[in-house]
Amino acid sequence: MKNKWYILMMIPAFLLVVAFLYFPLARGIVMAFQNYNMFDLTNVHFIGLDNFKAVIGNPNVSFWQILGNTVIWTIFSLMFQFLLGFGLALLLKKPFAGRGVYSGFVFYGYALSGFAIGLLWSWLFNGQFGLFNDILTRIGIIDEPIGWLSNPKIAMFSVIVTNVWYGIPFFGIMLLAALQSVPNDLYEAAVIDGCGVVRQLFSVTIPYIKPTIISTLLLRTMWIVNFPDIIYAMTNGGPVNSTNILATQMINTVFKEYDYGKGSAIGVIIMVILFVYSVIYLRLTKSSGDDV
Amino acid sequence: MRKAIAALLVLAVLIGGVFAGGAEEGGQSGTVKLTFVETMTSPSRTQVIQGMIDEYEAQNPGIEIELISPPYEQADNKLTMMLNSNQELDIIETRDYTVKQFVNNGKLTDLTPYLENWDATDDWMDLTWEAAKTVNDTPYFVPQFFYVKALFVRTDILDQYGIEIPTTMDELYAACKELTGKAPGQYGLAFRGKANTYKISDMMLLGDVGNVNVDNFHEGLDGKFFLDNEAGREALAKYVDVFRTACPPDSINWGFNEQINGFVSGTTPFLIQDPDTFSSFAGQLDPSQYTVVPLPVGTTGKRYLDYGFNGLSIPTTSKHPQEAWDFIKWMTSPENNAAFCKAYGPLPIYNSVFQEDPYFSTGGYQAWAEELNDENTVFVKYPLDAPEYPAWAQVQEQSMQSLLLGNITIDEAIQTWSDYWGF
Repeated sequence: MKNKWYILMMIPAFLLVVAFLYFPLARGIVMAFQNYNMFDLTNVHFIGLDNFKAVIGNPNVSFWQILGNTVIWTIFSLMFQFLLGFGLALLLKKPFAGRGVYSGFVFYGYALSGFAIGLLWSWLFNGQFGLFNDILTRIGIIDEPIGWLSNPKIAMFSVIVTNVWYGIPFFGIMLLAALQSVPNDLYEAAVIDGCGVVRQLFSVTIPYIKPTIISTLLLRTMWIVNFPDIIYAMTNGGPVNSTNILATQMINTVFKEYDYGKGSAIGVIIMVILFVYSVIYLRLTKSSGDDV
Repeated sequence: MRKAIAALLVLAVLIGGVFAGGAEEGGQSGTVKLTFVETMTSPSRTQVIQGMIDEYEAQNPGIEIELISPPYEQADNKLTMMLNSNQELDIIETRDYTVKQFVNNGKLTDLTPYLENWDATDDWMDLTWEAAKTVNDTPYFVPQFFYVKALFVRTDILDQYGIEIPTTMDELYAACKELTGKAPGQYGLAFRGKANTYKISDMMLLGDVGNVNVDNFHEGLDGKFFLDNEAGREALAKYVDVFRTACPPDSINWGFNEQINGFVSGTTPFLIQDPDTFSSFAGQLDPSQYTVVPLPVGTTGKRYLDYGFNGLSIPTTSKHPQEAWDFIKWMTSPENNAAFCKAYGPLPIYNSVFQEDPYFSTGGYQAWAEELNDENTVFVKYPLDAPEYPAWAQVQEQSMQSLLLGNITIDEAIQTWSDYWGF
């Protein structure tokens, strides 16, 4: 009898997950196939693939451009977040005086909201009153202020820099935890075998923490694709759609156009892309992951 | 297993009891409880409204008003959700662009019978009636205030360079160009490049174009998009030119906060904005440093202005419409309306307030008193009830930015807009 209680104990958690995750998810998928516009809720009906056609064939916001932007945004943000975060973790691995306090400061940025970070950095990048232009002008590198967020060719660079800054602590925290689990014996053995620092990194450290790297990279990719906060606060996808990604377009469609149908269609597209990506990613990394 | 089921039942009874108990409380105590949802939430504004509610409750024992204040960005969506799930609400803040949607979905009470027996409506401005009857020529709400654009001018900077306050758009453009470059980083106009940029650009363009259907100014009297003519092309060319020659290049990415910053810092001594902008200058600018004047007229000799507003409605789900109406009547009475607008910034809805209250008939607000009564002022409306309207902001912003950056031509931009609206 006693062991049946676990079923009862699990019910609240189960109900919560169903109510707040699977129900909205299913509802969103259904909405993607409906004419669901807050403007006229008396006329909700199924319209097949019309929402998807409208999103992909939108004459005013090119779907392929925002898809391309999403890829650029994700790849560059992820790459630099990972490399710099990994570097940070390696630096923090060896104990030194004040390491705890120092890591606290370094990781603090990750605790702020993305929207707040976006607002903060949009003032740093402001072309007229911004700190970056001021510094660059004072030390004589530039004469004319740079339109960090107003030049369509530079705006994506600026929002990615912000996102990189924001994401470094994530990899720092995760990889530092993994690094601390690498047994010291391995390094001692490697030294005896004549390995230098670089060789130790590639032959001992990286293979040992590979599972962590693989899973954090996957998690982070999904996170970045679905992370409109910074862009929304800094440029709202502009100028001229140069920083518009799928996630910001989805927000605009839902909250500015009140079109939940089309917004959900974009959501479903993001979900499908991430699903396919995850399957391929896990398959590619699985075979090489066996030897760890 | 039986024990488990019994435990579940007990749990269900307990939960049910808690909710049922909560629901009964309000009914038994004999007081009427009204629920009020505000949508233009800000901390200072919520405080003003709560203060008024406290005062009303003190005067009317037996009435209890619960104020719900969703965060500004989500408020309209949240209210839509509450209405669509038929929650019992008694007073709501309806906005110019949500009223059509609420009426479409059958959520608002027609206030005609209430208004017929209320003397204060005799004192309403024409604009107040216009706004109240936005949808189906039926009053679905009592307007609370208006937003109308005017020109803010940094007189200290203009005096420094001996530049006159402009009264026409061409003079404004010329003044902007003259200011630009007078000192390093000196420009003319606090340009609005993003986030509802059309709300300002349209008002700058219309005065040169005219000949529009005032109930939907996107439509010219010739049945084409209002900019699709020679005057429209010329007005756009001037607008693009002033951006390129007399505004900070960065301003293509300027929203409200950046505009204010440009004005306060003096980088851009001209600013076209709403009356509630005053509060943004508080503590940063001395009243002697700036003034407000009516929006300059265009080459047609007229200024065209749209007006934003917000009002109080009674949802059809309300169980206490009479009590809700009594509160709305009190909240929007001339004295309280004036007090509310003073505390918060926008323009009141009564003729008498503008004429008799020195706060509105003198000082910065004079510009609006003048503007509202000037025969050269034409009030126009956006097609707020068109299904295309909600997505228009993004389409207009992106194509206008392309035009400003020289990626597309004026003809291409006009074509995009005509196509979007189906002209």
